[in-house]
Amino acid sequence: MDFTTETVNGVTVVTLQGETLDASNAKALKTDLVPVLAPGAKLVFDMKGVRFVDSSGLGALLSCLRQVHSSGGDLKLCEMGKAVRALFELVRMHRIFEIYNSRDEALRSYSAGA
Amino acid sequence: MKALILGAGRGTRVQPITHSLPKPMMPVLNRPIMELLVEHLRHHGVRQILVNTSYLSGEIENYFRDGARFGVEIGYSFEGRMENGHLVDAPVGSAGAIRKIQDHSGFFDEPFFVLCGDAIIDLDLTRFAEFHHSRGAVASLAMLDVPRETVGSYGVVVAEPDGRILGFQEKPSPEEARSTTVNTGVYLFEPSVTDLIPSDVAYDIGGQLFPDLVRRGAPFYALNLPFRWLDIGKVTDYYEVLRLAMVGGVPGVTVPGTEIRPGLRVGPNVRIRPEACTIRGPVSIGASAIIEDRATLLGPCYIGPGAVLEAGAVVEESFVFEYTRVSSMTHLNRSIASGRFCVTGEGVTVQVAESGLDWVLSDARAPHHAIANPQQMLEALIRLADES
Repeated sequence: MDFTTETVNGVTVVTLQGETLDASNAKALKTDLVPVLAPGAKLVFDMKGVRFVDSSGLGALLSCLRQVHSSGGDLKLCEMGKAVRALFELVRMHRIFEIYNSRDEALRSYSAGA
Repeated sequence: MKALILGAGRGTRVQPITHSLPKPMMPVLNRPIMELLVEHLRHHGVRQILVNTSYLSGEIENYFRDGARFGVEIGYSFEGRMENGHLVDAPVGSAGAIRKIQDHSGFFDEPFFVLCGDAIIDLDLTRFAEFHHSRGAVASLAMLDVPRETVGSYGVVVAEPDGRILGFQEKPSPEEARSTTVNTGVYLFEPSVTDLIPSDVAYDIGGQLFPDLVRRGAPFYALNLPFRWLDIGKVTDYYEVLRLAMVGGVPGVTVPGTEIRPGLRVGPNVRIRPEACTIRGPVSIGASAIIEDRATLLGPCYIGPGAVLEAGAVVEESFVFEYTRVSSMTHLNRSIASGRFCVTGEGVTVQVAESGLDWVLSDARAPHHAIANPQQMLEALIRLADES
């Protein structure tokens, strides 16, 4: 899956550009994200274009989360579509990830302190 | 009197629930909508009911069969054909259905009701018939007053004070609407109406027959008598009806089960230790279901027969279809769930099967691997991504 990155106030915003994050591309995405998951990185994943996430996709996101946490960084999610949000809430992932409605709110959460 | 229940539609706006059920078979707790309609017709003296079927016709025909169990005679007008050993739908429209039956046997030889198979009503049909006859009507419909700001969802009926219909407006804006009384899809026709419907062509009551009646100046009347109308047009409507049913608010529906604790009703052969669960009523649990210790049920909830709620599962203001397994990792909130899908009360669907989420929701009859704890699940998901 393609993605773009930009840095805002020391936070790296990754905008995912594919519509589906699933068994066909989850592993590849994880590999492609390795440079972004630098030690101590503060990350926001903008999920606006993503329409469908399956178990593999969840696993890829969890893997990213674990990796940044273990190096002292953080990863937050934002701009989730309704169906993806419903999935996250169904499996209680919204307790594991910090999920914000908008990119601004996600960025602000970093400024507001740990 | 006789009746026709329209049961041939595909119910596309209530997907995914209608993926495997035609709309009239959508259950309200333990009984399909259509059963409530059949009972209501019977209560008002109707003894012969025809149902036009097409999409998933077997679901309707196999449940109601000849109607004897329901105290009426039921017959079907199947709209479709068999090709290569399976049934293919070929619906002919709501008016086409009437014409097809009339051409088949002349069944409609006395005034007959026509009801949409996807709305629950408690209209006094006897009074409706009296109104129809008193006006010398050839066709009548039951209308209801709605708030003006909502008229855009309906077919507005413009009628004189005595009920004579002048015309219709389909989904008008609140400003353009010439009245706030709307068509509820409950009709009463004289047999002569069938002569106005052409044979062998798709024909619709609201879109074609009614404008034709108005054009001809036929005695066509609207009854304005308040009644309960629960129209299940989309998923949100269905969810609201299920909630209402759990508090006794749906005509003809009582909450099933025996009350074993205040607000908790269970059917036979249910395995549950209420003291080991968190339960807030009203909750009803169908026969043979399993509610494991440490499950949480926050009502209004209905759990279908044979369902399984694993330890740690949370079902909050939700409705679980029969034979659904809800895993320990799952939190259903204001949703309707089966082994194949979960749809929120706002109509957002999670395709369980497609998303590889059988560890979240599955069929209780299928073999499964229990997840011992959340950590194990997270590990499994991460592994899954690595293997993809």
